[in-house]
Amino acid sequence: MEFSNKRVELGNGIFLNLIKTNKFKSNLLSYYFIRPLNRDEVTRNSLVPLVLKRGTEDLNSSIQIEKAFEDMYGANYSSSVNKRGERHVIRFSAEWANGKYLNDNEQNSKVVELLRKIIYNPYIENNAFKKEYVDQEKENHKIRIESKINDKRSYAVNRCIEEMCKYEDFSIYSLGYIEDIDSINELNLYKQYENLLNTSQIEIFYVGDYDEDFENYLIDSNSVEREDVVDIIREKITASVEQKNMVEESLDVNQGKIVIGYRTGIPFEDELYNSLLIASDILGGGPNSKLFRNVREKESLAYYISSSVIKYKSIMLIDGGIEFENYQKTVNIINTQIEELKAGDFSDDDIEISKKSIKTSLESIRDSIFHISEFFLSQIIGKDSRNLKQVIEGFENVNKEQIIEAANKINIDTIYFMNGKK
Amino acid sequence: MKTFTNERLNEKILYEELSSGLKVYFMPKPGFVKKHAVFATNYGSIDNVFVPIGEDKQIEVPEGIAHFLEHKLFEEEEANIFDKFSKLGAYVNAATSFNQTSYLFYTTDYFYECLEILVKFVQSPYLTDENVEKEKGIIAQEIKMYEDNPGWRVLVNCLKAMYINHPIKIDIAGTVDSINTINKELLYESYNTFYHPSNMVLFVVGDLNFEDIIKTVKDAEKKYEINNFDLNRIFAEEPKRVNEKLIEDKMFVSTPLFHIGFKDYDLGLEGKEAVKKDIITNMILDMIFTPSSEFYNELYNEGLIDSNFGAYFTGKKTYGHSLIVGQSNVPEKIYERVEKLFSKDPTEFLINEDFERLKKNDLGNFLMGFNSVEFIANNFTDLYFDKFNILDYLDVLESIKFDDLLKRFKKHFNSENMVVSIVRPN
Repeated sequence: MEFSNKRVELGNGIFLNLIKTNKFKSNLLSYYFIRPLNRDEVTRNSLVPLVLKRGTEDLNSSIQIEKAFEDMYGANYSSSVNKRGERHVIRFSAEWANGKYLNDNEQNSKVVELLRKIIYNPYIENNAFKKEYVDQEKENHKIRIESKINDKRSYAVNRCIEEMCKYEDFSIYSLGYIEDIDSINELNLYKQYENLLNTSQIEIFYVGDYDEDFENYLIDSNSVEREDVVDIIREKITASVEQKNMVEESLDVNQGKIVIGYRTGIPFEDELYNSLLIASDILGGGPNSKLFRNVREKESLAYYISSSVIKYKSIMLIDGGIEFENYQKTVNIINTQIEELKAGDFSDDDIEISKKSIKTSLESIRDSIFHISEFFLSQIIGKDSRNLKQVIEGFENVNKEQIIEAANKINIDTIYFMNGKK
Repeated sequence: MKTFTNERLNEKILYEELSSGLKVYFMPKPGFVKKHAVFATNYGSIDNVFVPIGEDKQIEVPEGIAHFLEHKLFEEEEANIFDKFSKLGAYVNAATSFNQTSYLFYTTDYFYECLEILVKFVQSPYLTDENVEKEKGIIAQEIKMYEDNPGWRVLVNCLKAMYINHPIKIDIAGTVDSINTINKELLYESYNTFYHPSNMVLFVVGDLNFEDIIKTVKDAEKKYEINNFDLNRIFAEEPKRVNEKLIEDKMFVSTPLFHIGFKDYDLGLEGKEAVKKDIITNMILDMIFTPSSEFYNELYNEGLIDSNFGAYFTGKKTYGHSLIVGQSNVPEKIYERVEKLFSKDPTEFLINEDFERLKKNDLGNFLMGFNSVEFIANNFTDLYFDKFNILDYLDVLESIKFDDLLKRFKKHFNSENMVVSIVRPN
């Protein structure tokens, strides 16, 4: 079963994507603002959703907004800022219980109206955001950025990327930088907000049940005349590694974290990319993988050890948590496993298992209202016109030679190690 | 076969008890691609003192043994369980909580083959001195990973502050020292007692056929000589007071983290009554500590808390507590403010209008939960072991009156049963 999806251009760079399904008890509406990822705007972009949440033109404090969503049978509002390759993507969503379970026909339009108010009709004073709101959110945002050290695993992964890509925009932290917060004020933040509305590519997704009236309502309410939309260039990827890098940090922790970054140089548009995904899965995808079997099951060195591929940058990452003194031993095993992968030392069974695992996780997208919209977004960003079924089929004919070919393009770039304090 | 239906949710659950004593429940989900099965035992980290099956003397086992057993059941003599599921394209996992151990898989194809493997591997432990030894290094790394997790540390310390004897205060995975005392014999003893089919439940959700499920389970399940026995778990008496008012710790974190706990003394409830207490207490907390409340906004606007602030109640038959959690540069101030608020007449901050709105909110959220097979599976087994059918949840929610909240508030929230755990940056 393939989703019927419809894509309508509502203005320069504004698209409405409608995915019709009655499988869920809820509906989802998401707005994605797509920006270039750069140091100049990343911190301000990250602050915008926090300030917007503080008040709209008529509901001018967050408590009123919260109460309104609760009253709409607990509609879930959320926002996020993420990087996808060298793009900064700002998302605003609402998911709400379908009115047919609640005998409430107004439910859909009420939630949509409120979400639109948050995005398009914020509370403003003198052509700027309210100073008090901006100042408070600046302080909160500092705490949020500082808190990244609380999650040691993702901190280690981010540190590895930061070191590895230090001359590329991809190294930029998606929440921005503490030292860039002080210069932000209610005026320049409002300017950036206007910039977001006027010059970003905007992808709107509705997933759920709808009729023609609702479709027309979404089209009419979101159509805007705009001028220039910021152009985002395809990020550069490198295949070769000029200088291998090893970074060690000593922190007050109980477990060592190792993260190794590799360059593959295989763009996601390339036919060989699917082979790379399978190679990475054989190496460290699941409990059947080489790393899990050797690092964890055979040598008892780690509880978690896995590998994954970062799509838009064609980078492969391995990460694991180990005893400090087992650093060299773990690196040696990882190196051996990669050499085996390159030499074709894996079975047809391993290939089949990886293909099935990838298929299951892709098929599972169909059961999640949120992942459906994320899938379509990813296809749009990647300028990939295939539907989910075609994406899944793309893995079927990958053979061993291609996997070996992809594996041989894996080049070690940076090792990050979080050590303890001696 | 029995069928439970809920018209409003437009969902049903089919049920059958097999002659072995194993109960099988199934919720059809037409149109869903994922098929999900959970095989769970009513056995978690708190069940560390018990009378083993067929014996008459109670024993105390090392901390972390339920979790250790969960790891070891994936071992088999010839093949590896992970491999078997992987070959069918299925994703398998397991989890141990304070109260239950569950084994689950989901798949899009070959469901019945996977179900057969699930039932067989959970019912046939293969433990050797060597494979038990090997697991210790892996679990030690899991323990160390949690030791570096400030959110976990602040919770465990809060439990230690509230509880004097109850095993809820011990870490689910145990300690590196305690797991080193675990051996094959202890594991088998625990296994044989707690993995008896009468202490377990199998729950399946997805686009499937119940008769095929039952047939698969019947063919796969092990035959047991004893069909039913009374499991004897022993809990030392827990005094009606807290252990310590304050536990402070230091870690590599950016901002201090805190958990304020209220220990519950209204215990021993099951089924509808337990669920009702749970919903009532959570509604009280939501009315005070969510972004839609006055108190939350006061603290937020003063810069004392950030959006991580929140509260929830959790409890079972033998324990229960409300937790108010967050991060703040002045955690002791939050404690004072909560204490001060709670010393007031609750009608000042528990308002009927908020209660009605929150009911609508909870109704919508519960409905939306049924989009996710994971939500259904997790909540089904959890409520099942509390002797409650998930399909009756909305009825209980709707039966709650505003006055129930006021009564519960006066009983549960007192400064005597209030503790705080703080983790500060070092």
